[in-house]
This record gives sequence, C-alpha cells and structure tokens, in this order.
Amino acid sequence: MVDETTLYHKRKRPAEAFLLSAVYGAASMSVILLAGMVGYVFFKGAGTVSWSFLTTAASVLQKTSGIGGNLVNTLYIAVLTLLAAVPVGVGAAVYLNEYAKPGKLVRLVEFTTETLSGIPSVIFGLFGMVFFGETLGLGYSLLAGAFTLSLMVLPLIVRNTQEALRTVPDSYRMGALGLGASRFYMIRTILLPSAMPGILTGLILAAGRIVGESAALLFTAGSGSRLPKPGAGASDTIRRLWEKAHESGGTLAVELYLQMQNGRYETAFGIGCVLIGIVLCINLLLKLGADRLGNKA
Amino acid sequence: MERSKISVRNLELSYGAARALKNVSMEIRGCAVTALIGPSGCGKSTFLKCINRMNDFVEGVRIRGSVFLDGEDIYDRRVDTTLLRKKVGMVFQQPNPFPMSIYDNIAYGPRLHGIRGRQELDGIVEEALKGAAIFEETKDRLKKSALGLSGGQQQRLCIARALAVRPEVLLMDEPTSALDPVSTRKVEELIRNLKKKYTVVIVTHNMQQAARVCDDAAFFLAGEMVESGPGDVLFSRPKDRRTRDYVAGRFG
Ligand SMILES: Nc1ncnc2c1ncn2[C@@H]1O[C@H](COP(=O)(O)OP(=O)(O)O)[C@@H](O)[C@H]1O
Ligand SMILES: [Mg+2]
Repeated sequence: MVDETTLYHKRKRPAEAFLLSAVYGAASMSVILLAGMVGYVFFKGAGTVSWSFLTTAASVLQKTSGIGGNLVNTLYIAVLTLLAAVPVGVGAAVYLNEYAKPGKLVRLVEFTTETLSGIPSVIFGLFGMVFFGETLGLGYSLLAGAFTLSLMVLPLIVRNTQEALRTVPDSYRMGALGLGASRFYMIRTILLPSAMPGILTGLILAAGRIVGESAALLFTAGSGSRLPKPGAGASDTIRRLWEKAHESGGTLAVELYLQMQNGRYETAFGIGCVLIGIVLCINLLLKLGADRLGNKA
Repeated sequence: MERSKISVRNLELSYGAARALKNVSMEIRGCAVTALIGPSGCGKSTFLKCINRMNDFVEGVRIRGSVFLDGEDIYDRRVDTTLLRKKVGMVFQQPNPFPMSIYDNIAYGPRLHGIRGRQELDGIVEEALKGAAIFEETKDRLKKSALGLSGGQQQRLCIARALAVRPEVLLMDEPTSALDPVSTRKVEELIRNLKKKYTVVIVTHNMQQAARVCDDAAFFLAGEMVESGPGDVLFSRPKDRRTRDYVAGRFG
C-alpha cells in the first residue's frame, strides 16, 4: 500500500530509460557517421581543391588537371534541365489540380508520377541514350543529358507544385472568379504567386538531384570536359552556347565516377569536396528561401 | 410597377440528383436591398450564385429556367460571364482578401478588366475604399498586406474590392456571419447606403438584420421560394402560413 500523504513516489522505470538511451544513441550515431564521412572527404580532398583546380580543364598538353569544364557542364545541365522540367511540371500540376475532373485519369497520372520517382536513375539513362541520343539524334550531348534528367526530376516538381496548390484556400479562387477573372487569369495572378514557395522547393530539390546524378548522364551527356571559349559579342556568344548544348559534357558527379574508375582518388576526393560544398549551398538556399517566404505570408 | 432589375423565371437547379431549387420565380427591384431568408440548406446561397453564374464552377450542376438582368437572359449562350460578373459582383460569407497589399486587392478587378493607368487606378481604389467606408482606416497602409486587417475590416475591404469594378448589382452571402457585433453594425450601415447606387441582394439567417437593412424580402424553404414582397409586409403580415411560422419562431 502506497503512502498517500505525499506525492514523492516517482518510480524508476528501467525499460523507459533504456529505450530513451537507445533512441539517443541511434540519433547521435547517424549524425556522427554522416559528419565523419563528410569530414573524411574534406580531409582527403581539400588539399586538391585550388583556384586552378576549379578554373582549368584537364589537359595532357598543358599539364593541367582541373575540373573547370565539368563545373561549367554541371551548371549547363542544371539550367537546361530546369528550363525543360519546370514549365512542364508546373503546367502538369496546374492541370491536375485546377482543370482535370477528379477521377480515374487524375489518379492514374498521379500514380505514374509517383512511380516515376522511384525508378532507378540508370534506367532513365538507358532510355535517354536510346530515345534522345539515337532516335532523336542528339548523340552524347548536354541536351540529351538534360532531357533525360528532366524526365527524372519531373515528379519532384509536379508533386511539390501540387502540394502548394492544394494549400491555396478555395476562397481565393472564388474571390477572383467572382470578379470576372477567367480561370487562366486567376491561376496566373493568384494561384501561382501563392504556390511559389512550393514551386521553388521543388526546383531546388531538383537542382540537388541533378548535381548529384551520374548514372543517368554517363551514357547521355557523356564525359567531355572542355571549357567553352568566350564568344565575341552577344550573338556569337549565344551561337556558342547553343553549339555547346550539342556537345558531350560530363558533370562533376560523372567526372568523379570516371576518376574513381581510373584509380585517381586524389582528384576524386577533390571533386567530392566541391560536390558536397554545392549540395550544402543548395540546402542552405532552400532553408533560407523557405524561412523568407514563410515569414512574408 | 417599375421594371425589375433582375427577374427570375422558373429557375430549377439540381446538384447531380439532388434538387436544390424548385421552380423559383421572383422579381428583384433596382436600387433596393432584397433580403433572402430561410432555414439553412433551403437553397439561399444556391439561388444567389445563380444570379452571377458562380454555379458554373460546381461539378455536376444542372440549371433550367432563366434569369433576366435588365431584360437579358444571363444563361443565354452568347453571354460573356466576365462581363456578367463585372456587372453583378459578389461578397462571400468568409472575408477572402487576396494575399497581397490592400491597394492590389482593390485594383485586382479593374486591372483584370484592362485598366492599367496608375492615376486612374489610384482614383478607383480611393473611390472604392470610400464607398465601403474603410478609406480612413486604410489610407496610410495601402501598401501593407490585406491579411493584417481585422475580420470586419477585411469584409469591408472585400466589399470595396467588389465595388471597384463598378458593378450594378451586389450579391452578399451572409456577409456578417463571421463578424463581431460592432463590425456587423458598420457593414449593415454600409449596405443601407449602397442601395442609393446599387441593387443589393443579401442572404442572411438573422431576421433582425433582414428587418434592419432590407426593402424587400423573400422567404425560401426546401428549395422553393414561398413568399416575397416588401420587407415590412413579409415580417408583420405574411400571407403564407409557413412564412408566418418561420418569422414568428425567429423573432421569438
Ligand atoms: N456544391 C454542392 N454540391 C452538392 N450539393 C450542394 C452544393 N451546394 C449546396 N448543396 C445542397 O443544396 C442545398 C441548398 O444549399 P445552400 O444553397 O447552400 O443552402 P443555404 O445557403 O440556404 O443554407 C443543400 O441541401 C445543400 O446540401
Ligand atoms: Mg448558405
């Protein structure tokens, strides 16, 4: 019988204490492992990273071993991919959410995009090589790589845009339509601005995947690493940019893969450092952007 | 009798298999306030939305009959709904300002209808805010977000937004049900002023409110329009027994 005149009867619960320490242990373990890995990559690769490493292209003649060309290719692929995927993805999300009648077709399309996001990227590479490379005749080119990646990141953009559109209250839609706005005008002036944070989230997540992708690019964009030469004047620059899109080019992740294959681990770790840096920046951007937009609304 | 602003003839509406309006006919006078009363679910909102075709956006809705605005059938195939909704504006139950500045909220309609000039817009915004009796409270914060206003201010802002497209008819669906008593008074006063220039049709479940603001009234029950006429007649000497019961119960 417990003495009921006092509250000081807190019991020790050994099972709870054990579970708690197990949970803490698991949490700190995952942080330590991740931090350890990132630290190790930096430890091994930081020495390789230098200004010339970042700005020159690998060349036997000039005895340089830089990754400048790959850096430019990465940027190229990211921009081209997003240029192709964002309009299509946002358009698809708007259609699914605002125009399509809810029903079998919508669920089918949603199921397909979900599935698409679970497919291993090497399969996108296989399809891209055969379809964009051979059938459409793009060969090994930045353009073929970018189209392949657009398919891959499309679900990310569709899903994030859809989520964002769903959170826009119906009363906004009715308010605009009640003033005489057409559906399209309402979408352009009310929905898309309200959904912008979600669209940006999808875009940045997609950028992260693009930067880290190698399997889907190896046989579509190939592995060229030449630095583009600056054009003379605006029209010449545009012409060169367009030509470059038809040339083969390896991104940082692809180059890292190739360097590993050839046993050049120093360079590989150097590229690893740069990649981790870029991904960290992208995540920071995502966080900053989300906070900024979150505060404004 | 003067010609009605809106005249509804044999209006039938069903959502899928459910009939929501049954053979409703009624006349609505111009430059007057008409109140629609009746228990909830009787079809008041549905009827209101028929007057500017907001029911077009509802899945599976079927409408028969006609609604004439100044003698033109708004359900005619040649009707431009944008133009119709410019003439017949709507204020909703929940204040629904857009997530943008006060100024941009008011300018939304005029811009939509093609007005771009800065000075012209400035003038319209001021006029609309004054018309909705909210200019004094907002004139120093036009560039601030409309979401920062109180509920009552937001509702008057929404009225101003509707006025900014210079409508002829204003439809209001329980515009004060989400507001506190002080804001409600302000909006009621505003409604009484609006009828100088506009034809107002207001849905309310509050009989006292209906009696305070309306010139005419119509009683709806289970999708039917039971009785309509001058407000004082409808409230004090209703012809139909169902109206009498409802009114007696509501005035208590
Ligand atoms: N979008 C809709 N889809 C299906 N039924 C609806 C819809 N809107 C209203 N109804 C039905 O129509 C009837 C009338 O509704 P409503 O016009 O909102 O009544 P009130 O405004 O008088 O309360 C109700 O039975 C309601 O359930
Ligand atoms: Mg209602």
